[in-house]
Amino acid sequence: MASHAKIAQQFARQLFSLSVEDGTVSAEKVGGILEYVEKHKVANPVMVLKAYRRLIAIELAKGIALVDHAGAINSATLAAIEAAMTRKYGRTVKATARPNKELLAGVRVQVGDDIYESSVAGQLAALASSV
Amino acid sequence: MSTVLEQIEQQIAKLSSKAVKKNTGNIRTVADGVAKIDGLSDVMYNEMVQFPGGAIGIALNLEEDEVGCVILGDVSQLKEGDEVTTTGRLLSVPVGMELLGRTVDALGQPVDGKGPIDSKVAYPVEKIAPGIIVRKSVSQPLFTGIMAIDSMIPIGRGQRELIIGDRGTGKTTITIDTIINQAKINKVGLASGDKSFRPVYSIYVAIGQKNSNVVRTISALEAAGALEYTVIVAAPAGDNPANQYIAPYSGAAIGEWFMENGMDALIVYDDLSKHAVAYRQISLILKRPSGREAYPGDVFYLHSRLLERAARLDGKGSLTALPIIETLAGDVSAYIPTNVISITDGQIFLETDLFNQGIRPAVSVGLSVSRVGSAAQIKATKQVGGKLKGELAQFRELAAFAQFGSDLDAKTKAQLDRGGRIVELFKQPAFAPLPIELQVAVLFAMQKGFFEPVEIKKIVAAAASLKAFFTTRKDALLAEVRTKAALDKDLEAKLLAACEEWKSSYTA
Repeated sequence: MASHAKIAQQFARQLFSLSVEDGTVSAEKVGGILEYVEKHKVANPVMVLKAYRRLIAIELAKGIALVDHAGAINSATLAAIEAAMTRKYGRTVKATARPNKELLAGVRVQVGDDIYESSVAGQLAALASSV
Repeated sequence: MSTVLEQIEQQIAKLSSKAVKKNTGNIRTVADGVAKIDGLSDVMYNEMVQFPGGAIGIALNLEEDEVGCVILGDVSQLKEGDEVTTTGRLLSVPVGMELLGRTVDALGQPVDGKGPIDSKVAYPVEKIAPGIIVRKSVSQPLFTGIMAIDSMIPIGRGQRELIIGDRGTGKTTITIDTIINQAKINKVGLASGDKSFRPVYSIYVAIGQKNSNVVRTISALEAAGALEYTVIVAAPAGDNPANQYIAPYSGAAIGEWFMENGMDALIVYDDLSKHAVAYRQISLILKRPSGREAYPGDVFYLHSRLLERAARLDGKGSLTALPIIETLAGDVSAYIPTNVISITDGQIFLETDLFNQGIRPAVSVGLSVSRVGSAAQIKATKQVGGKLKGELAQFRELAAFAQFGSDLDAKTKAQLDRGGRIVELFKQPAFAPLPIELQVAVLFAMQKGFFEPVEIKKIVAAAASLKAFFTTRKDALLAEVRTKAALDKDLEAKLLAACEEWKSSYTA
């Protein structure tokens, strides 16, 4: 079972590398790969597709700046965040706003597994842990 | 009051001024104290990571798309999907004099109910061992208080001496005796006001032991007045394997503080067999490839990097290590015992047969060795006990040979008789270490033949009588032996006279 999972993981990695074009995930290539998996008898297709999905999701998350905010946020701010993150990561990053009242005030930006915390809730948590 | 408010406002302003970057991940699986985490792309090897609920972890496996972490602390609240954050720090434990007399867990947190530890310094748990240049050769003795060891297998400050044997052969007892002896020496030395006196502080690391055993050890140390010079690091059998894995390194960090600050320390790892088992468990859960006896490939490095941290530093202090290894059916050629034997500077091998015969401590003279040798002995011990190891080894050989025949020449009979007396003389009860000056006096009496007229069966009683005689009536002479540390003609004459006096008063 463990070796099946390993083989599926390796195959998913190969499929993933075929899905990337110029550093970004190509929707066209992903479509082609899904078609290939459907038509051909791939061993453990569910396992392979789950691993493939995970890798694609991680890659897509690197191109999205998820902006959690409490209160209103204008499009200029979103554009500024987009520009700053695109410059920082050297790839196109698109900002998506998501209201989150738990932040109390301020914003929290997540790009991939990096989080930029500038919310009051985050600062209070930092203050609490430093006392 | 306003200053306090200003302080808080400044802190808030400092926090408000910039966005804080965190690198995060999510728990994918969590089992048996090990978590597999998605994300954490910036994490470094051995970096401390923060789990929700205050638990911390150490990143041990950095793979292409996941990170394997051992979790230190309560894992029961963790679940799949929980957010994990990098800290950018290595795991550290509090160190310093404040820890003396305390019992702490693998993270240096008190578990003895005596309140928080007010330590101002923290040392990293994992640290590269001192290099060649900063080291100094081992030449100062560390007295265990056990006559068989101090006279035949001397241990020096900065040495690593393995204590190996089957279960129930008295391995822990030897280390506790040694700790008690350090405390006794410390008390005498500190009371004397001698500025050149260097106390030895002890650290006892309990790995995978029963809580009842740990309590017994603490009680023994407390009863002997040794706890005030000792730090106990406890990672009992009930702790998760990650805590058991990290505990000896935490102990080493505590010991290093003494060494770095010009003091001498002794650390006991009780025991490294259980430590290897805990590490094997972690490695198997992390799906690292397993090798001989299912241990991972780096099990040698696990112990070598730990024991290399024991050293004597030039211009600073020393850290002496007494690791313990438990063998199965006396098999010293198993994987972990051979590894640790090759790392250490000698071993004290304890035999079940000797133990069952009532020879305690059950030190096997033939298999025990100290590679530092007489460099770590005072001259007085060399003078009275220099030939003992050879004599005892010869005795064992002759005793084995003598089993096959009854016709023995007078010389062989005399050698057997003398060997039997030495064996009896080395018998010592638990938790009663002997000061080195008393050991010298007893061995001197033996060398001069004062025990020859005594029946072998009564040697233990005669030795006890001699010890009582010296401690109660010849205190000044013992102090002279202690301070001179060598026997000149004058001192020898005094010792001889004292032994004669004892002989005249002793009745078997």
